[in-house]
Order: sequence, then structure tokens, then C-alpha cells
Amino acid sequence: MARVRLVDVTKHYGDTVAVDRVSADIEEGEFVTLLGPSGCGKTTTLRMVAGLVDPSDGQILFDDQVVNRVPTHRRQVGLAFQSHALFPHMSVAKNIAFGLTNTRVAKSVVNARVQEMLELIEMPDFADRMPGQLSGGQQQRVALARMLATDPRVLLFDEPLSALDRNLRDTLKYSILELQRRTGKTAIYVTHDQSEAFAISDRIFVMNQGRVEQAGTQLDIYLRPETAFVAKFVGDNNALPGVVTTVTAGDDGQQTVVVDSIGTQLRIEGTSGIGVGDHVVVFVRPENIEVVANDEAVMAAGIVEGLVDQIVFEGPTVRLTVVVNGHPLSVNISGVDRLTLLDTQSRTVRLALNQPAIVKQNGNSVE
Amino acid sequence: MRKYGPGGVLLAPAVLVAVVFSIVPLIYLVRVSLTSESTFFFASPENTLDNYRTIWNRYLPHVWTTIRLATAASFFDLIFGFPFAYILVRKIQYRDVVRVLMIFPLFGPLYLTYGLRFVFGANGPLAPLLDFLGLDSRTLLFAYPEQLTIIGMAIFTFPFMVMNIAAALTNVDPTLEEAARTLGAKPRQVLTRVLLPLSWPGILAGFLMCFGWNLGVFIVAMLLGNIEQQRVLSLTLYQKAMSQFDYGLGAAMGIVLMALAFSVTWLSLRFSRGALGA
Amino acid sequence: MSAITPTRRLEPRNRLNPGALLSALQHVYIWVWLVIFILPFLTTVVRSLETPQGGYSIEAYRFAWNAFSPNLWISVKLTVATILINLVIAVPAAFAIIRHPVPGKRFVLSALNVSLYTPGAVMGLSLAITYAYLLKIQGTTGGLIAAYTVGTFPLMLVPVIVALRDLPEVYGEAARTLGASRLRTLLRIELPLLGPGISAGILLTFVIVFNEFLVTLFIAGKSDQPAALVIYGLLGRAGFAPSTAALAAIMQFTSFMVVLLFFKVFGSRYLKGTYLG
Repeated sequence: MARVRLVDVTKHYGDTVAVDRVSADIEEGEFVTLLGPSGCGKTTTLRMVAGLVDPSDGQILFDDQVVNRVPTHRRQVGLAFQSHALFPHMSVAKNIAFGLTNTRVAKSVVNARVQEMLELIEMPDFADRMPGQLSGGQQQRVALARMLATDPRVLLFDEPLSALDRNLRDTLKYSILELQRRTGKTAIYVTHDQSEAFAISDRIFVMNQGRVEQAGTQLDIYLRPETAFVAKFVGDNNALPGVVTTVTAGDDGQQTVVVDSIGTQLRIEGTSGIGVGDHVVVFVRPENIEVVANDEAVMAAGIVEGLVDQIVFEGPTVRLTVVVNGHPLSVNISGVDRLTLLDTQSRTVRLALNQPAIVKQNGNSVE
Repeated sequence: MRKYGPGGVLLAPAVLVAVVFSIVPLIYLVRVSLTSESTFFFASPENTLDNYRTIWNRYLPHVWTTIRLATAASFFDLIFGFPFAYILVRKIQYRDVVRVLMIFPLFGPLYLTYGLRFVFGANGPLAPLLDFLGLDSRTLLFAYPEQLTIIGMAIFTFPFMVMNIAAALTNVDPTLEEAARTLGAKPRQVLTRVLLPLSWPGILAGFLMCFGWNLGVFIVAMLLGNIEQQRVLSLTLYQKAMSQFDYGLGAAMGIVLMALAFSVTWLSLRFSRGALGA
Repeated sequence: MSAITPTRRLEPRNRLNPGALLSALQHVYIWVWLVIFILPFLTTVVRSLETPQGGYSIEAYRFAWNAFSPNLWISVKLTVATILINLVIAVPAAFAIIRHPVPGKRFVLSALNVSLYTPGAVMGLSLAITYAYLLKIQGTTGGLIAAYTVGTFPLMLVPVIVALRDLPEVYGEAARTLGASRLRTLLRIELPLLGPGISAGILLTFVIVFNEFLVTLFIAGKSDQPAALVIYGLLGRAGFAPSTAALAAIMQFTSFMVVLLFFKVFGSRYLKGTYLG
């Protein structure tokens, strides 16, 4: 039984489709992140789960009960806002108690719960402060306490850290994860920040233009992007267009294919559903390209030679732009020792391409 | 229906009040202006355009007096208000004190004009200064009705001008002035080439707002002016309608004044980015 | 930091720093105007204390209080009634305008504000005609309150609209995700947060209605006149007698104290875009 289930949830604003048939099963205690660029529909999806936006179509279920018509205040969700949204006219304690006082709860119970929450966020002495007297990080922690105080069924996070500075973001994202682990609650977290998503999620839903492009673990998303958008949005990637020349089917139903691309043959293992003659795009991450010596024997998906166009030192890594048969490739090298392999005279370099991912080219979705 | 439901219900009382006590009365005013004297109130009113003809033939000087006084007072506000607003926005730390003391004109032109009678009157607080300047404080009130009326109007509307210009100047980044100065602009050039172009909409809005208020001058002209200044439309229409019961002519003067005020307001709304400039 | 800090000519510091002189002149300029604003009031107070014998006494205040306290009381009652009606019609209207789709919003807003741009005498005459002919409320208290309401509720509407527009919707949304019903969200969260804006509207309504005389002149009856109209009436009969000055001083002093109290409690933030901003 999924705690939260979305079935073809859709939201139109006039003619524009903000969310397009999003479906998801989110298990009890799972931490799911909706990741995508701004305007991809992730926040609208979250707000539909919270009941702040009515879906145009589709169903939202909590514990297999359809909640489409249930107003926000009866959904028992906790929502953390980008701007903490602490009530400025109420003290910290009053803010935390607000959700409890909406139902008939004895005053002593409320006070005990408030104190418990203050201790949970390690701010036991802040009960009488006003929100304006707190730092940004403290405000966001109080907002988390307020959200948890009512013991909601689902925790929703709408980019809760994006207004904070970087150091604070790093600490708080682990605080959020820890609070979620400790309470064992289901969480849906919206962000446009990949590193945040990768650090705290059990599963990531990558969204684009209102649709879920891919849902999976960090490794799935990073190593096996299913669409060109995911390959390009998550981390850096070189996109190499090509045509499939051979397909060899293995015992386990997985294929090994050879793609003719940028004037070489790239071997890609573990694919499925690819046919000979398909137009595809092969994605190779800059950090998966190695500079190798001319006489060095290496195992790689492909070996190419190119001309070094640009070298940028970025401290621990060196970023090269290498032109291979007219295609510029980004290459990240860690450590300078590999730089000695550059032929300074001809500026040619030999590259080994590793861990390629393949996406079928359909229509014009890939450049 | 569900879409417009709550908004319509919430708005209904306000709209109702505005229609019954503002829109309908103005429509009636137009209607009355097209009847002769007070015949509107009889069973069969005499419909006529005579009132507007009368204004054209006999009361045009009254219209001009109204416009002349409003224009002069508004320019007075502009010339003295711009430096005031600039100093207020850029140099003054005690802005709250200024704001508090600037409230007094808001209590309306009645007390203001009443007080000015004492200020400019014989043995007023300015008497030594006036005598020093060679102006006879005992006859000042009767010797300079035009000037005093304009000054009285201008003091009443001064805060409107300052408010609009100050709002505009607040939005002009002070670093732009500094940039202009480091680029070698003289103070006058900073003013004409940076400040005025950037605060232009606020200045215009302030001027038009003052002008709109000054068009409605009543008590200032009555207490500080003489017969010439007392020809302003508000006073004349009051006398015609409420003393001589010529409602038709009074209403027609009201419509003329209204037309002047609305065209000015319409212009000022187009230029202002005030609270409602959504 | 002054407008004429020389940027090109670098010269030794001379005895009379032109920057400092200009700065002093700027302060003088501001203060001259502040004196102009307050001088009519102060002179009125001085005149109200003078006696025909050349001395000073508060006799005029005693007289004014005895003669006109019913009128002051009428002014207070009219003002309070207008404020209450303004609240009831303007606050929901502000919610409608900011939070709900209303067809022809700009047009509706302009129609609501028409009275704000109508010269007082024109509004007075139009109401006098309508009251006498159509509504039959000439010279009644209800007629006065109706006139004040239509004349001032835009002044209530504007600060509330500004406050509501500046109020992020997340507070309401947060309250609802925490289990508060719409009504509770309105009462516990939104109205308290709009408090300063609503108070600004109350202040503006008070200042205008309490001191209104021109529209009142057209539509008030012969008896039970509000104090401001009494002052106007006395100008014709008692002229510039100390008792008239005393009444004018009382009115201004009361108004001033209310405004000061407001500044003390709420500051001037929510008066932005209004006369007092």
C-alpha cells in the first residue's frame, strides 16, 4: 500500500499544461525528490499533493483513499516553504503550537509537544522569541518543528533551503534527512539543486515540462539516463549523435550495441530496445573520459584522437576541450600527471571514453 | 459562476455604495444641469442647454480664474516642492519629524486658511518681518488677495507634491548621481540630465494631483481672496445653487469643474505609479 | 556628502566649507516649510487665548466647550460610524480585488474611487440634489454618514489593498496545511497581519471625516451640525472670535494627537501611497 499515490495527475492553466499526467507510488517512510528546472511543474505537483492547487485531472491518493476533494486543512500534510512562512506576529512557541490548537487539544499537551519539538530542533530556549529575531537557519528549523508538531502523514518540502546561503544549506539538508529518518515519515522534496537531491533522496523523479522524465535511484539517474533531458540536466555530459551498426543480444535479454559516432565505433553494454540503424545519442560524462598514452592498452567503450582546443585549470581538476572529428568534447582530468601525455607540439591527445549511456533519438527532442 | 462568485459577493457592498452615493448623484447632476433653474424638482422640468450657454457667455472669466489660480498654486508647489522632496529623501535623518509636522495641512484648508488670516493679519507673528520688508501688515490681507490665495492653496497641496516627487526620487538610485558626478557632471547637469529625467513621472503625477485639488478651491479663496478670487467655480456654484436656488446653472458649473478635474485625474493616473497603479 | 563636492578642482581646505554651508541651508529650507505648516495652528492657539483686554486666558475654551461640545460629540459619532461602515465594505472589497478574479478589475476600481477625484463642492451639490429628490435623506445623520462613507472608503481601501498585496500568500497556505480552516486562517493569521494596513485606513478616514466641512455644508441640516461645519458657520457670524479659534484649535489638536498615536504604534510604513506616506 503506497502512502501517497499519484495517478495521471494533470494541471492546466488555460492552454498551458503545468503538470502532465504525473504518476507516482511513494512508499511509507520513503524520501522522494522532485528534481527539475524552474517551471517544470514540480512545485505545482507538490502543491496539488498539499491541496493548495486543484488538479485538472487525475487522482491523488493517501493510503488508497482519494483525497482530491479533501481541503488542505484536513489532509494532515506538513509543508515547508521556501520562505519559512513563520507567522511574524506569533512567538516561536505560538507558531509551533498553531497546528495543534487548530484541533481540540489540552493546553498541557500542547505545551509539552511544543517543548518536545524545540528540543528536537535543538532550540529549547527559543520559545518566546519572535521569528524576526531568529537567523535564517533558525527560522527554517522552527518551520520544520511547526510542521512536525501536528504529526502529519506526509512531509512536503518546497525548496526549503533555496533562500539560505550555501553552508547553511549543506548543514540543514542533513538535518532534514535526519528528522525524516527519525520520524520515519514519508517525504516529498522539491528542488532544482541536483546535489541536494542526490544527497538526501531514496528516489529521484526528474521532471521537465510538466512530465516525469525518469524516476529512479541516484545511480539510475546518473549512470543510466533514459532520456536526453535527464542525461543533460544531471551533471555535465557530452552528447554524441550516431547510428547503431550492430546489436548483439545477450542471454539476460540485455544488448551490446556498437554505435558509429564522431568517426569511431563506440561499444555500449547493457542496453535494451535498440535496433540496427537506429539514430541514437551517446552520452559520455567529462569525468568518464581519460587521457591515455599512445601506446597504452586500455579497456574502454571507445578510443578517439583529437586536438586540444582549450585548457582551463580549476584547481583539483583540469578541464579540456578536445575537438574530435569536428565535435568538441569536454574532458575533466583530475591530477596534472595526465597532462604530461599532451603532445605540446601537435596538441593531439588520445582519449578513452568510458561508461557511455545511450538514448534513442526520436523526432527532434535531441539537438 | 463559481469562478466569479466570491469576488463578486465581497465586492458588492462597496460597488453598491459607490453607485448609489457617487455614480447616481453624478448622473443626476448631469441631468439637472440640462434643466432650467430648479424646475428639475417639478413634475415637468424645462429641458434646456441654456446653463452651458450662460457659462460660455457670462461665466467664462470664472472658469479662467479657477484655472489660473490652480495653475499658479501648482507651479508654486512644484518649484518649492522639488527641492524639499530632494532634501527630504537624500539628506534628512529626521524624516519622521517632517512627516508629523506635514500632517497639519491634511486637516483641511478650513483651519489652515483660518490660521493664515491670523498669520497675515494685523499684529500677526509675521508683522515685524513684513514691516521690515516694507509690506504694511495691517493692510496686507486686502492688498494682495491674489498672492495670498495662491499661497494658501499651495500650502494646502504642498504635501501632495512632496509625496509624489519623494516617492519618485526614492526609486532613483543615489549611485547614479554619484556616477554622474564622477563623470564630471556639474550639479546643474546632474539635475537636468539624471534626476529630472528619472523622476519625471512622479513630478508630473504630483503636479496634476495638486492641480486637481486646487481646482476645487473653496474656503481659501473665500477667506483670503477678494471678489476676483471668489469667482472660482466651487464658490460660485454654491452661491447659485444653494443661495439663489438656480440648481440648473449650479449643476452645469459642477459638470464643468468635474470635467476639468477628471481630465486632470485621468492624466495623473496614467503617469503615476502610486498605490493603485497595478 | 553634498551636491557640490568638487570632484575635479582639488584645493586646500578653506575656512568656509561650501559643502557645510549648503548642507546647513538645506536644513534651514526644510525647517522654514515646517514652520509654515505649523504656524497657522500655533497662531490660532495664540488668538484663542487672547482676551479683548489684552491679556491671556482660557475663557474662550470654556465657552467653546460649553457651547459646542454637542457638536464635537456629533463629529466623533459620525466619524466612528463612518469608520465602521468603511471597514465592513472596504476590507472584503480589498480581498476581492487582490485574491479573486473580478471581471473588469481596473474599471471597478476606478468606479469605486470616483468620489476621491470629485471636487468637494461638486460632490456636495450632486448629493444635495440626490438626497432631496431621490433618497429623501437631506439633513439627516444617515445622509451625512453615507456621504462620508462614499467619500472616504477609497482611503480605507487603498492601504488595505497595499497591505494585502504585500502579504505573502504563504502565511495563509501554511496555516491551512497546519489544519486551520479558511475562517480560522482569516481571523488568526490574515486579519492580524493586515492590522497596520487596516489601521492606516482607519486613520485616514478619521482625519478626513472628523474635519470635513464642505460636503457637509451642502447636505447637513440646520441643527446637530458637526463641529467643522460649526466653525465654518461661525466665520460668517462670530467672525474671528477667540471662541471660534478655540474650537478650531481643539479640532486640530485632537486630530494631531490621534495621528501621533498612530505613528507611535504602527509607524508610517502602511501609509505609503497615501497623503501621509
